Amino acid sequence: MKTDCAAIESLLGAWLDGELDRPDVERVGTHVQGCPSCLKTKERLEQLQASLKDVLGAEAARLPFDPFWNGVSRRILEKRAWHTPIREWWASTLYPQRLAWAIPMVIVFLLGVLSLEQFFPGWRWGSSPGNAAAVDSIDGHGLNVAVFRESKTKTTVIWLFENQEDENESAEEAVSTDTSF
Amino acid sequence: MEFSDWELVQRCQDGEVAAFQELAGKYYRKVFMVALGIVNHREDAMEVAQETFFRAYRNIKGFKGGSTFYTWLYRIAVNLSIDFQRRQKRSPLELKETMDELIDKGEGGELANDPYADFQSKELGERLLAAINELTPDHKAVIVMRAVEGLSYKDIGRILDCSEGTVMSRLHYARKKLQEKLGSYL
Repeated sequence: MKTDCAAIESLLGAWLDGELDRPDVERVGTHVQGCPSCLKTKERLEQLQASLKDVLGAEAARLPFDPFWNGVSRRILEKRAWHTPIREWWASTLYPQRLAWAIPMVIVFLLGVLSLEQFFPGWRWGSSPGNAAAVDSIDGHGLNVAVFRESKTKTTVIWLFENQEDENESAEEAVSTDTSF
Repeated sequence: MEFSDWELVQRCQDGEVAAFQELAGKYYRKVFMVALGIVNHREDAMEVAQETFFRAYRNIKGFKGGSTFYTWLYRIAVNLSIDFQRRQKRSPLELKETMDELIDKGEGGELANDPYADFQSKELGERLLAAINELTPDHKAVIVMRAVEGLSYKDIGRILDCSEGTVMSRLHYARKKLQEKLGSYL
């Protein structure tokens, strides 16, 4: 009986709506007549339907036509700007739930673009690999090395020079030491 | 002399705004009820219903009579309401307030005769609105179209672009949820 009730309950709404085939109509009708629990469910469904209609109907009943139609005719007469349909489309397409997906997607896309160099060595954002040039410099004790690489002509220039600032500083130090004596 | 919907539509297609006004007078309350059931806010529902008629007017030349006028109109109303609801989720508080005013002023028809029945109906109305507001726009759309207009599953399916089976299962789910939420009020 319990299994029957569960099966009947799932059909009760459609039965009340008159949307079942004849064999199902008879099956549900016979069951409801002999089952107080399903009869109660049927009554609750009927009350739900009636209440819904009453609540919404009461609101609609006090809506006068004239102000309503004024709003419609104002829209009809109003010349809409050329961008209004685009704005309407934009507003109906990009609602918060879709934006909630769009933001992570944009972040993933940006991360993907930024990490492309990891997968394609030599690829650089905003410049073609053929024109890439780089300058590296290394500071040492009293000596500096600058390395210039240019990939198009495959040129490497190594520039080795003494650190002038260190030299000057040590000369000044020597002078000031002298004066203190 | 009363014209059929199709005759009025044809006159609209010839540019007669008065014919469209007649159609609007015939269906504005029903469209408003559907919008109200989905967006759950009086002013928003008014906005959606007016926009529905404006869009219908703008596109009436493309209406070839493949379906009935009200099915076509409901389709516009339901789609606009669902879009609106998705963009802007409001609480049913303001509608609840207007219901309170309505009952206090005794404008609720039968609701105003017996104080105990008034109280119960008011309470049920408030609970019902709150419960509807928790459904998804698609579930709201099916239950409102069935309750308000008594549309067949076939018509609801046509409006929402889904099968009759989907309409049936959405209705079953929505009714079950509402029954659970309303509990002893039913």
